[in-house]
Amino acid sequence: MPVDLRCALFYSRKDIFKNKKIFAFITLSIIFATANIIVINGLTDGMIKDLVDNTIESSSGHLNIYPADNERFIEGLGVKEQRLAALEEVEAYSPRLSASGVLSNKELSASVAILALDPDKERRTTKLLDKITKGMALNSNDNNAILVSYRLAEDLKLDVGDEAELAFENGKSKVYNVKGIIRTGAADFDSSTVIMPLNEANQQLAFDNSASVILIKLSDKELADAYMPVIMQVLGVSNVKTWKEETEYLLSFAEAWQSFSSIISAVGLVAAAISVGIIIYINVIHKTRQIGIMKAIGAKDDFIFTVFLMEAVLFGVIGVSIGDGVGYFAVKYLEAHPFPEPMLGSMAPRFYMYLLYDASLVTMLTVILAAVYPAFIAGRMNIIKAIWGD
Amino acid sequence: MEMIRTGNLKKSYMPGKVEVKALNGVDTSIEHGEFVAIMGPSGGGKSTFLNLVGMLDTPTSGEIYIDGSDVTKMNSNTRAEYRLKHIGFVFQFFNLFNELTAVENVMFPMMLNKQSGYKYRAKELLNLVGLGDRLHHLPSELSGGQQQRVTIARSLANDPKMLLADEPTGNLDTKSSIEIIELFRKLNQERGQTIVMVTHSPEIGGMADRIIHFRDGIIENL
Ligand SMILES: Nc1ncnc2c1ncn2[C@@H]1O[C@H](COP(=O)(O)OP(=O)(O)OP(=O)(O)O)[C@@H](O)[C@H]1O
Ligand SMILES: [Mg+2]
Repeated sequence: MPVDLRCALFYSRKDIFKNKKIFAFITLSIIFATANIIVINGLTDGMIKDLVDNTIESSSGHLNIYPADNERFIEGLGVKEQRLAALEEVEAYSPRLSASGVLSNKELSASVAILALDPDKERRTTKLLDKITKGMALNSNDNNAILVSYRLAEDLKLDVGDEAELAFENGKSKVYNVKGIIRTGAADFDSSTVIMPLNEANQQLAFDNSASVILIKLSDKELADAYMPVIMQVLGVSNVKTWKEETEYLLSFAEAWQSFSSIISAVGLVAAAISVGIIIYINVIHKTRQIGIMKAIGAKDDFIFTVFLMEAVLFGVIGVSIGDGVGYFAVKYLEAHPFPEPMLGSMAPRFYMYLLYDASLVTMLTVILAAVYPAFIAGRMNIIKAIWGD
Repeated sequence: MEMIRTGNLKKSYMPGKVEVKALNGVDTSIEHGEFVAIMGPSGGGKSTFLNLVGMLDTPTSGEIYIDGSDVTKMNSNTRAEYRLKHIGFVFQFFNLFNELTAVENVMFPMMLNKQSGYKYRAKELLNLVGLGDRLHHLPSELSGGQQQRVTIARSLANDPKMLLADEPTGNLDTKSSIEIIELFRKLNQERGQTIVMVTHSPEIGGMADRIIHFRDGIIENL
């Protein structure tokens, strides 16, 4: 005959609500453990996702072509662009040129990374130029305008409309108009980048239509692996990377964060497990005589075990549900009010439904597991010893 | 017909190095509908006998027949089920579940037995023991005598074949004790309930149909 769950539930329910303070204490620790997991994982996942998204959106195509080994530039850019334009799955492409320089505003100056690009092609390929927070984007023929990353602008006290002098690596320098301020969320980009039209950069650096990378946008980013050999063959290039390879370095960062957040989650869980385990154990010891009476009346070992396990389930269901709510609102609040973080600019969790499922499942399991031992002790109690003491 | 029969019933304990013979060959027989008192000096084996007959413990050797069936061979789950359906217990004190009200305490064995209509029947039983006006009181809100009456009501919940009581009035004053015994008498006479009760009081023992005397683990014939 299986255990009568209804009867076990009847008793468990009466028992856990008997002492309001203990009930509140246990529930709070479960609420905390659940909400903690939701917020910490939401924060970690949100941060990692932001980082990957930002990186793909602003500094990588689905496929990136690099110069051959030992070369600084991609050879024969014109021909390669023509061939790319003819490929069916290639939706857009954008050649970029990287160089270094020094940007000065009066007595302030800073070394900068110059990112030269064709604004029209770039706009079709990435979302980099959507990230202008102030001012306007560049045009291909803007020979006197640059965009400045926001931290650099702060450092040099530059604002839209100001003029700044850019010294190139070949010694040439020219005064440019700051047409816009850009902020991508990628730390090193935001700290020291100047964006300018590709033509102007080639001219100042006395290069002949050069690029140091070509970003390619495919009709679907999942085609990247399959399409890489096609690009290599058609364009006769050897150094091509997919967006996955480009963001791979972020994975170790992500893993570090994930293990950090697992530790924080585990601490909360262990605290909840210990409090649930101890409270139920104390309750079992405290109730020894009543357990004996219950057995004398005819309750089987399994029934007694179920009663005390059920108490943990009840604590769990109540604590986890409230914890889900608290965690949800905490994540939503932080999503709307990100807090400042020096590396990324700001840090905000993101809400995903799986955060609730994961936190609920893991907390519930932990709480139930914590009760298994005390419940087992209760079930195994010897009737005679339980009633007459020993 | 016999409700309880034991043959050469023995129970030894080994609390330390020395064996304690709590029961040392008990042959006894109690009829259906009898109201029996068990008396004798402390340590004589009264509780041990009641625990064995009530299937709370297993004998070292010997036979126990309840209502014709040999119960010594049963496993612990079968014994639990047998107790639930056929045996009612009243111990000396703290019999009740603290967190349940009087009516819930009486309902409990019926719920455990998956019996329907338990709420109605629990109220009936509390009326029978004279506590119809205390249904929703917690044990802590009842006097010792009232608590024992709730326990008796609970012991009757599944209509047991026999009711075993180990010093049910041991903690009560004389007036409450008499009330409890009168309740037993009534249950025995009106419902034919078999009752086996341990007591130290000759006055209370004298109200039973018969007294069995235990001394040093055996039945003493006076
Ligand atoms: N669990 C136990 N372990 C060891 N010895 C026990 C145990 N239970 C009972 N005994 C011993 O068995 C003997 C009989 O005990 P029992 O409790 O049956 O006596 P009793 O007649 O009920 O006494 P009382 O009137 O004091 O309740 C005693 O010597 C007691 O010490
Ligand atoms: Mg005794």
